[in-house]
Amino acid sequence: MAVNAFSDEWATQFKDEVNKSAAYKAAGKGWKWTVGLVVEAEPDKHFPESRGLVMDLFDGDARDIRVGTAADAQKCDFVITAPYSRWKQVATKELDATKGMLQGKLKLKGDLPTIVRYTKASQELTECTTRVPTQWPDEQ
Amino acid sequence: MHDPGTHPMARRAVKKATLVTYASKEPSAFAEMLGGLIEANVLAHANKHKDFDELTARVGIWVTDIDEGVTLVFESGLLTVYNGLEPRRKITIRAEAETVMSLSNLKIGVFGLPVYYDGVGRGVALKLLQGKLKIDGMMTNIATLNRVTRVFSVQ
Repeated sequence: MAVNAFSDEWATQFKDEVNKSAAYKAAGKGWKWTVGLVVEAEPDKHFPESRGLVMDLFDGDARDIRVGTAADAQKCDFVITAPYSRWKQVATKELDATKGMLQGKLKLKGDLPTIVRYTKASQELTECTTRVPTQWPDEQ
Repeated sequence: MHDPGTHPMARRAVKKATLVTYASKEPSAFAEMLGGLIEANVLAHANKHKDFDELTARVGIWVTDIDEGVTLVFESGLLTVYNGLEPRRKITIRAEAETVMSLSNLKIGVFGLPVYYDGVGRGVALKLLQGKLKIDGMMTNIATLNRVTRVFSVQ
């Protein structure tokens, strides 16, 4: 059953997908930092308030993924920020996350060599978002 | 007792050395990412810093699937990053975004040479053979290319 984008249910399903992914388990080996995704509000797309996705990823596993405020996500070691519609493009494979970062469509904060070292892991995380059946607020 | 307020040097601001500057007042996201990556690499590793200090070259990188590029102008311990391709480049690398990321994940092996026999290295070599990674000036500037790879590599 489809769940609302960036809701608590969505975060739970996303975490399950990450933990089911053998590709992420391999690519994320050695990762030990928190990652925050800031989803910026777009009221005209029926996403009225910014949200934060706080991801506790450790050594190829997702220990916790929860929805919080944008400020919660901004406290993480790595923070990726984009408006709601950009994240939707990423989760529907319309936008490749690596390209999005190089183009500045997704704004990254954190140690660059570390994130580049884990390019494959971040690509697989993106793949996991595409596997969550999602109801998009601007399509309801 | 030492009073820090009275010494002439006491309130001197400690300015962080800037290794990387941007030619444009509005550097592209790609320019900032590459500049930031190289600076972080060089500051974290003495061997990369040595390479960086000895490097004098103009290197272009063009990302074919986002139609964006930069020129990295290395001048003995300083790097200026330009948006787009500037003239008089010694080396120009053209590849898709994913391949550019793979280049920065190349391991450096014995004698400081990039490793082309592991998974990442084989992938890069295959892209070269398939023409999906093009390096103009490679054959005549192999030592410079290896040095750039070492500075660029996060491994």
